[in-house]
Amino acid sequence: MNSGLIQQLSNSIFYIIAGLTVFFAIRLVISRNIFHSAIFLAMVLMGVASVYLYLDAEFLAIAQILIYVGAIVILFLFVIMLTASIHDRSIRQVNKQVLISLVSAAAFLFLIIKVINASFQQYPGPSGAALSVKELGNALMTTYVLPFETISLILIAVLVGAIVIAKSGKK
Amino acid sequence: MIPLSHFLILGAILFSIGIFGVLTRRSAIGILMSIELILNAANINFIAFEKFLGAGDGLGQIFTLLVITIAAASAVIGLVLIIAIYRNTKNIFAEDINLMKCKIRPLNPVISCPCIYGKYFIRP
Repeated sequence: MNSGLIQQLSNSIFYIIAGLTVFFAIRLVISRNIFHSAIFLAMVLMGVASVYLYLDAEFLAIAQILIYVGAIVILFLFVIMLTASIHDRSIRQVNKQVLISLVSAAAFLFLIIKVINASFQQYPGPSGAALSVKELGNALMTTYVLPFETISLILIAVLVGAIVIAKSGKK
Repeated sequence: MIPLSHFLILGAILFSIGIFGVLTRRSAIGILMSIELILNAANINFIAFEKFLGAGDGLGQIFTLLVITIAAASAVIGLVLIIAIYRNTKNIFAEDINLMKCKIRPLNPVISCPCIYGKYFIRP
């Protein structure tokens, strides 16, 4: 196989993945059963992880699957199970603002696509070489060590805060 | 290679769908899921810009890593708050969570509203 055919194949796979991601995102938003919404959220996150792979960000793709699909979606499923009788189909899941929200979101999307088409057409290829995981880790521990430590502080605060809030108020 | 604008358009579509979900969902869990969708759309934009316009120092990827962490933290705190609200009111619909809102105007408006534990409070 020549490389042009492989390139074409990989491009079409990207468009298939992007279409599937958008489809699952729409199902996430309009699904009546909120349990199905959580499953569709996992699908969307995996689609976004494969888009990261197309952008040469392998570490972020793996981290996305580990953190989002492995932890956050599971947490969502736990909370859906804990709040009983919410996930039955008879309860209306959308409020009365559907039409005006649809119009405003579509207008926003139209505007953004116009702006993208007007401004970002002249960048056909990537600017530099792909960054390896080693370089990423070096940058994280030298240049960007202050945000890294701040993030760890935030994680500790969230850990303590979640335990305090979730603890029952009764002795 | 796929051009930059297609990644940006994918991010914009996901962002709009997330905005629609935040505006229309009744249950607070659905709103949190839509917020995760919005954050993912922003992450796609970060990495696409880093790949196409970046200086090669990995700033976009590191920023995305920080955004993922903040998103996880916000989801955890939001879900814990939902559980606490559900424990008190047996309800997670965002439009019905009005525990801190005064239901009846107090008789004497000079005195601050004693609703929550006073005699004017009506439990929903």
